[in-house]
Amino acid sequence: MLSFLHRRAARTPDKRHVWSSVAALVLLACASTAHAIPVYARQTGSACADCHAAAYGAAGAGPNLTPYGMRFKLNGYTDTDGNGTKIPLAAQLTESHSAPAKGVSTTNLTEADLYIAGRLTDQIGGYIKVEADHVGHDTYNTKLSTVDLRFVAKELKLGGKNLTLGVSVNNSPGFDDPISILPAAMSFGPPGGQGPTGTFLNLSSANSPTNRVIGATFYGLYDANWYGEVGTYDSLPRSTQDHLGYNISGDPGKISDTGYFRFAYMKDLKRQFFSVGVVGLTTKRELQRVGPADDLTDLGYDLSYQFLGNRENIVQVSYVNILEKRKYGSTFESPTVPGLFASSRGALHDETLSVAYIFKQSYGVQVAHIESNGTRDDVRFGPYGNPDTAANLFSVFWTPFGKDDSFTSIANMRISATWFRFTRFNGATSNIFGVPLGVESTKPGDLNAFTVSVSAAF
Amino acid sequence: MTKSTLGLCAAVLILGWTLDSPLVRAGDASAGSDVFKSECAECHSVKQGRNKKGPSLFGIVGRKAASLPDYNYSDALRSHTDWVWTADKIHSYLSQPAKQADPGTKMKYDGLSNAKDLDDLISYLGTIH
Repeated sequence: MLSFLHRRAARTPDKRHVWSSVAALVLLACASTAHAIPVYARQTGSACADCHAAAYGAAGAGPNLTPYGMRFKLNGYTDTDGNGTKIPLAAQLTESHSAPAKGVSTTNLTEADLYIAGRLTDQIGGYIKVEADHVGHDTYNTKLSTVDLRFVAKELKLGGKNLTLGVSVNNSPGFDDPISILPAAMSFGPPGGQGPTGTFLNLSSANSPTNRVIGATFYGLYDANWYGEVGTYDSLPRSTQDHLGYNISGDPGKISDTGYFRFAYMKDLKRQFFSVGVVGLTTKRELQRVGPADDLTDLGYDLSYQFLGNRENIVQVSYVNILEKRKYGSTFESPTVPGLFASSRGALHDETLSVAYIFKQSYGVQVAHIESNGTRDDVRFGPYGNPDTAANLFSVFWTPFGKDDSFTSIANMRISATWFRFTRFNGATSNIFGVPLGVESTKPGDLNAFTVSVSAAF
Repeated sequence: MTKSTLGLCAAVLILGWTLDSPLVRAGDASAGSDVFKSECAECHSVKQGRNKKGPSLFGIVGRKAASLPDYNYSDALRSHTDWVWTADKIHSYLSQPAKQADPGTKMKYDGLSNAKDLDDLISYLGTIH
């Protein structure tokens, strides 16, 4: 069932709502969303570049984890150099200059983060991010961001092969994935912006479960190559979301009978890596927490390849394709066209293709194509009944530190310039909000934005 | 066959025997640097005093096993009081899974099966001192 707000959005596009959503999504994609933190470097003695191809987290949709980074994550963030206990704290500051195609350019300290992360025991470790986001007028909103707490049993044997078993308690389906190319782990996804146009697994979708649910998954890695994970999630009460710093308008709704699975084959060839995976999620969602539930079923597959060589020239390619089938619990009549009813079923489709090249683990360029498509529904998706969106990301970045030979291993910095470009929005390539003739219309390109960011972590 | 031809043949044979000898690892240190980066660098540094999950490999060739004072070695490796990391010892150790070479070790490594890569790597390690 669509919320009143979404029905309203579908009927009469609220430009402010859309613009703010788009701005948030662009910032989401462009601002630093680093998962690599100096805590882990201090704990393991490793360089950031050992786990991250570009020596600085997954900022701006990548680059991806290296196979070594995947193993660190699978081992519950517990690997250590064995040289005493390290303080499990790190911080990150991000200053950004954002220049939208239309609108006012701004320069702000856009994000300040505190990380509590690392190893508690040889079997227990985790990652907790507390994030303060600039929300205008020198004010910040603090929220509990991603959480991933793990218990892991390592170095088990099954049929003479190595086996790792673990439990992850996390608040974002897909974030805990070791390959880290699913939308929640990439911190990047197809821009929705208006109504529930993306899949449930896409953190860019309106009412996404990201950070607003809590769940547990059981996972295992067999023979270093075969990964399997099953789990379930439950949404946090609205009051809890509010206490954790989230606006309840983004509530994913009450979800029940939720199942999540992930299977992947991944092969570390030292100089190369590839993976093939499938992911699925099924849930019953009451978006307004009362009334009939919508049945959502996501099923996707993903492919990734990395050329690592001697780490001088790294190429990473990833592709994610997720299809969501929806069976709506209720339908309703169009307010403008009597007798026209919203469909009782629908499908949404997210695709992301990303290619990154990194030189000397310091200089990089990344290009991504992002598409979100859905079946036509004249009542649910305004103004044209078409939710299709397409966008591209072009990013260049420089990470001066984070390598073995860097002068410091306790701090890191990343400078990036990103252009986010829309080519289709609301299924249209012109007048995307469907305003009447005589009123200034908006093209997809008017939503573009150029962002320069500097992130420092210590 | 002239004397010079015989001499050349002898030199080639001697050179071939020398390169094939288990006592000498005639690898390419430059290529070994690349092998190190892809096989070892995530867990080991060649910087003196820089321990990662594994101990620093600075000066590893010729070093007594488990001898760095600031690294927490496994009991298994500490027990090998007679182990010295000669080129041959390293060759033997790395040509098989670490858990097989030293049961109880903390090291997680499946072994380097490519003989040339292994020789190149050992040659490279020999230059790190």
